[in-house]
Amino acid sequence: VAAALGAGASYADARVVVRRSQVVGSRNGRVERLDDHETEGIGVRVLVGGAWGFACDRRLDEGGAEAAASKAVAFAQAAPGGHSRELAALEPARGEFRTLVERDPFSVSVAEKVELCLRAEQALANADVKVTSASVRAQHEHKVFVSSEGASVEQELVECGGGIDALAARDGVTQIRSYPSAHGGSSAQAGWEYVEGLGLEREAPRVGEQAAALLRADPCPSGVTTIVIDAEQMELQVHESVGHPTELDRVYGTEAAYAGTSFLKPGDLGSLRYGSEHMNITADSTTPGGLGTFAFDDEGVPASREPVVREGILSGFLTSRETAARIGSGAGGSMRADSWSRMPLVRMTNLHLEPGEGSLEELIAGVDEGLFLQTNKSWSIDDKRLNFQFGTQVAWEIRGGTLGRMLRDATYTGQTPVFWGSLDGVAGAEEWRLHGLTNCGKGQPGQHAHVSHGTSPARFRNVQVGFKS
Amino acid sequence: VSALELAERVLQAADGDEALALVQTERSGMARFAGSEVHQPTLIENEVVELQVARDGRVGIASGNRTDDEGLRELASRAREAADSAPANDDFPGLTPPSTPPAVDAFDEQAASLGPDDQARLAAAAIDASDLDLYGFFTSGVTGIAVAATTGLSVSQELTDVAVLTLAAVEGASGYAEQTGWRAADVDPAGAAREAVDKAGRTRGAAELEPGSYAAVLEAPAFAELLAYFSYDAFGALGVIEERSYSFDKLGRQVFDERFSLADDALDPRGLPKAFDFEGEPKQRVRLVEEGVLTGVVWDRASAKRAGDGHKTTGHAPPSSIRHWGPLPFALSVAGGEADSPEQLAEAVGDGIYVTRLHYLSVVDPREGIVTGMTRDGTFRIRGGKVADPLVNLRFTVSVPQLLAEMPGLTREPVLVNQNAYYDERYPTGLLSPAIATARFDVTGTGSTPGI
Repeated sequence: VAAALGAGASYADARVVVRRSQVVGSRNGRVERLDDHETEGIGVRVLVGGAWGFACDRRLDEGGAEAAASKAVAFAQAAPGGHSRELAALEPARGEFRTLVERDPFSVSVAEKVELCLRAEQALANADVKVTSASVRAQHEHKVFVSSEGASVEQELVECGGGIDALAARDGVTQIRSYPSAHGGSSAQAGWEYVEGLGLEREAPRVGEQAAALLRADPCPSGVTTIVIDAEQMELQVHESVGHPTELDRVYGTEAAYAGTSFLKPGDLGSLRYGSEHMNITADSTTPGGLGTFAFDDEGVPASREPVVREGILSGFLTSRETAARIGSGAGGSMRADSWSRMPLVRMTNLHLEPGEGSLEELIAGVDEGLFLQTNKSWSIDDKRLNFQFGTQVAWEIRGGTLGRMLRDATYTGQTPVFWGSLDGVAGAEEWRLHGLTNCGKGQPGQHAHVSHGTSPARFRNVQVGFKS
Repeated sequence: VSALELAERVLQAADGDEALALVQTERSGMARFAGSEVHQPTLIENEVVELQVARDGRVGIASGNRTDDEGLRELASRAREAADSAPANDDFPGLTPPSTPPAVDAFDEQAASLGPDDQARLAAAAIDASDLDLYGFFTSGVTGIAVAATTGLSVSQELTDVAVLTLAAVEGASGYAEQTGWRAADVDPAGAAREAVDKAGRTRGAAELEPGSYAAVLEAPAFAELLAYFSYDAFGALGVIEERSYSFDKLGRQVFDERFSLADDALDPRGLPKAFDFEGEPKQRVRLVEEGVLTGVVWDRASAKRAGDGHKTTGHAPPSSIRHWGPLPFALSVAGGEADSPEQLAEAVGDGIYVTRLHYLSVVDPREGIVTGMTRDGTFRIRGGKVADPLVNLRFTVSVPQLLAEMPGLTREPVLVNQNAYYDERYPTGLLSPAIATARFDVTGTGSTPGI
């Protein structure tokens, strides 16, 4: 920071990050992944004449820090455009934060992790299951943030997760079932106790049986119907159709070239009807166990719990200090960087659908004819986050308020505010679960974010399922 | 210190174990812009070392970016712990033996010499050429890759890559163009910006379209994206072995239009050439589709060992972090056709839709090759053989094999389409694709209008 100021920066911050991540995975009874990756370095972000600059260096010494600072200033000075930026006012951040961990995942031997994967995989076995796989992951990140405004923050974040998959194939049909979610399982900011609590081995027989049973299930028919979406698929629904559109950098267009923009406009705040009165969304970087939980974000803004949608009305955006100053509301708090070698971007932290009332069974009981959808299989949404289409691994027919036969190849599609407007029930707190995903992509160069969503099962009326054509 | 010298130092840290070392180095700059100003400029320098240790068929991998002696000793210790914890793997193919990789030229002094000032200047060239707000980036980088093993393997390569992406956009209108290559001269930022502006100007007043099956022309960026999503699953050996990919029961069969031929060819100088894969195996050109007949898939050492039956690696091992996906075709190349331009393909189509670019694809059914996604930044109706009125962004859900089954034409000259989103370590990849015409493109919904 001192070097950047000396080179002409009006503002500078620096993040030192040391991260270790480990993945152990098995497939068809063989260990296929034993990766143990460490990375460390310093990233320096500067403002020069209103222009941002960012550079990084893997050397954690004075030479590396000064080189990153001087390059960041030089790049900012060269940046074309008519730059003018302010940052929302902020008390300099000072403090420490450490994830509460009962069992350090890096104190668990690799051999124990391998054993867990192989046991869970064995329990997936079924005559029609061609591919079984299991994986567990752990991450430890130690980071220090300082800024020219006097911020000084040290944080140690620990994550763990795991998942299993069974892929069945027969007569030209393939089907997959996963637990606790698709695409690598689920993670939390916690110790190894989280992985032990997932019960991968316990759930595996059901997962294997359902994958095989899907081979004989009828395809899901097309039509407009009522759907009840399980909590885990609701995680992705919230992520894609509420989380990303409410990122204020997208609203202002700065992600237009890659991830896209948003159907929301700055002036929609406080007035736009996003969904029905049952829709309450909260951004909460204080949630215990959340992958987006911290004491301070990557520009030193303290963690907070903020409404994003209240009773269906857009009530807040996810912001940085820059975008908060631009819209004149809030102070930021959602800036996160993938590593020391990337600039922080506006990212989701933990974004929750607040629970409603009643049980999943009660939601289903309120459906005369419809579908219960579980576990993501495919996902796609347009660049303004309006038109989406999701596929799920399994669907269950609902008739007369009770679950019936299993169906395969289910998809549902909609337009974001119309879809959320059709929400007529969210199950209660006893059904609310926190799900953590580690593959949220954004930015150029690309960055992965780890985010969590707390959701309960929810019911939507008049939804297009299957393909219209 | 060169990447290869560093790889040899990593091997020494293995201290007598059978081992393979991979080194990736990066020096890059990206001037990312939005609203015609650079808003996220990023300079990266990094060296990542990876050590694979094999002890009696038990294999462990560790990686990191500390390259001092202590860092390498600690790296070796983690790799050994992983190997000691793994059960023996009967499918372990052994470490890569020594070989002489094919000679490829993928390093351009001019591209390598581009520094932050140049990257900012070339971003400015794009911005200045646009009379609409411009979004996108200019980037250039130098990537070093080296693989060394206790078997005597010792290979290395230095690559350059340069790319510009331009999105000209205002409320209700947007157009897109991109260029990529390994030479600085391959990329004209101002030219890309002008193309994007021209396209954007024709997207105002976009109309909706009824879902249904339409004939279509897909420009190279659109077809490349769709083909990549299909091919990563369809043309890798692991999907065939595990009976889950489209190709499982179709090798040797005529499944596509005879105008369609596809290879994976990392040696093609028109692409982003590579001499060897992430195991250090020499890259080979693999014919995947010959005049509509599905002729092959790509292999790495593990999949070839597992399949047996005389299969050998074709040099398609991906990075270890995604090796569980199996071998991947990172250098797809579609044979050109007869048409001079996408507009000539529109004449062949007569009535249909014209697609510039796709967004957010997802594989709905890998066995059937069904992919969904959206069009964006330049979708038009084709009427009377002409590219006509603009359309809103369309949701499509297509069977790629059906789309490839009837292709009225392809443009003559494939262009290189960037496939790198610059996550993790830089590794330039691109797909050589012409524009294509297809008799069947299934539109299943409508989305947002073009523009910001």
